Amino acid sequence: MADADLRTLIAGAGPIVAMPQPSVPPADLQRSLNTLVHGTTVIAVKYDGGVLNVGDRRATANYSVMYDRAEKVLPIDDYTLLAISGSYARAMEVVRYLRHSFRYFERSQLQPMSLDGKLAELAKVVAASLPAALQGIGGFIPVFSAYDRVSHEGRIFFYDAMGARFESTDYAAAGSGSYQIRGVFNYIVKTRGPFHEMSRSEALREALLMLDIAADLDAATGGWSKVLPLAKTISAEGIEDVAEDELAAVTAEISALER
Amino acid sequence: MAFTPFDFNEAIAQRRDHALEGLRHGSPVVGLSLDAGLVLLTVRRTQRKIYEIYDRLIYSAIGNQSDIEAVRLGAVDLAAREGFERSPDDVTAQRLVGFSLSPALKEVFRDQWRAPSVIRAIFGELGPKPEDDVFFVLNYDGEFSQHAGAAAIAGTHEAEERMLNHLRKFMDRLGATPPGVGSDALLTSALAEALRAWAVGLIALREQPDREEDEAAEDPALVVAALKEELATGRVEAGILDRATKREAKFAMVAPGVLARATDLAMNAEDA
Repeated sequence: MADADLRTLIAGAGPIVAMPQPSVPPADLQRSLNTLVHGTTVIAVKYDGGVLNVGDRRATANYSVMYDRAEKVLPIDDYTLLAISGSYARAMEVVRYLRHSFRYFERSQLQPMSLDGKLAELAKVVAASLPAALQGIGGFIPVFSAYDRVSHEGRIFFYDAMGARFESTDYAAAGSGSYQIRGVFNYIVKTRGPFHEMSRSEALREALLMLDIAADLDAATGGWSKVLPLAKTISAEGIEDVAEDELAAVTAEISALER
Repeated sequence: MAFTPFDFNEAIAQRRDHALEGLRHGSPVVGLSLDAGLVLLTVRRTQRKIYEIYDRLIYSAIGNQSDIEAVRLGAVDLAAREGFERSPDDVTAQRLVGFSLSPALKEVFRDQWRAPSVIRAIFGELGPKPEDDVFFVLNYDGEFSQHAGAAAIAGTHEAEERMLNHLRKFMDRLGATPPGVGSDALLTSALAEALRAWAVGLIALREQPDREEDEAAEDPALVVAALKEELATGRVEAGILDRATKREAKFAMVAPGVLARATDLAMNAEDA
């Protein structure tokens, strides 16, 4: 009889960190489940020291605002940020999965997972959500920001619903409000120069300005009249929150433009 | 094959001897719980010896390399699965060691058809405050013990006792440290003291078991001489679970610069 090795004896057989796949409900239930879809706007832009992510705080279900303090920009590890749009439940589960999966790899293999490995892992879970996305429930689209420790630069990747990934030279956005501001990105780059040459404060101002426009034009994107948006940076030093004071000052300055 | 109680005792004794013989030459490991975080320190030659198991769990061991690795991977697997399926808050050293690692090691030790594991391991768990920190020392036969404040593993019981004595004296002095001493300076002096405790363990391991030289091992000149000799070929390795960090990962290897300062401090005999 072959004996179990000590590792298996300790931990038992079976998967360690495995993403549960969403089940697609029968067609007659789907209409009521459509209320689980959430709108949002999340934006990632480069700046001269790394990548900046901003997101609104609104979580919606159909025409209802469910929550006005949702966090949609989430750290996966010290060099990776994920900005999420779409089904909040699925996205949170994916974030939890990726956090564990990246760390489990690093702890067991004694080396960090490569950037390409992390991107492939995310592609798999995005693609696995496709059936649910096609039914109008459970789909989610992430924007992946990383600080590349090999080439010493910030990098931004966005995905489509099938899991295809694209690297962006300068910026990306996702969520229901992202379509309304696509042209604004081009306008900013063509009038003010590329984001990756901007200072952190310049990039923050432009990103928040776009978030404000998205909130104006998209019902599912929250403004900042009650709760400040969320902003995080990722650089050689790791992930940092943009302080509330700074956010309050910049958002007040932008709001004043229209008065 | 007839198997009598005598055979059983004899077999267990032989397996015990086999394990103890394998452990005797291991480089000791020192554990300290400080305000800055929970630290493990050792002197290594070729292999890395200090590892992260989970968000708040750190591990090191002496013994057979493949057994050290099997226990490490088993613990990493178990912690990751539990943390993912339940919550990182539910992953504790007490559950890991008491309910999974210890029974597995005991099973292997008692099984006549397997080679016994040769391992003595130390696990450190970081709490919110230093008084919540806990160490577990796990033996090749599944026996384990819990420690607070400081812990040590070495090839013999005698060596461990002397290291712990040394560490306890330091912890008493640390308790009397006047406020205002910077946390960096405290960490460096704690690492230096951990390194001296390591040398105390090494000196005890080298002694003949029948010699009564309790105090000699604490002799600062002997400690410095032992460190000089060992650091010619080995190098200091320390890992920390950082209590104050804002980073996602609390675990980090202590930077070479900090270790170099701590080593200089440990070699300064006047202060020993």
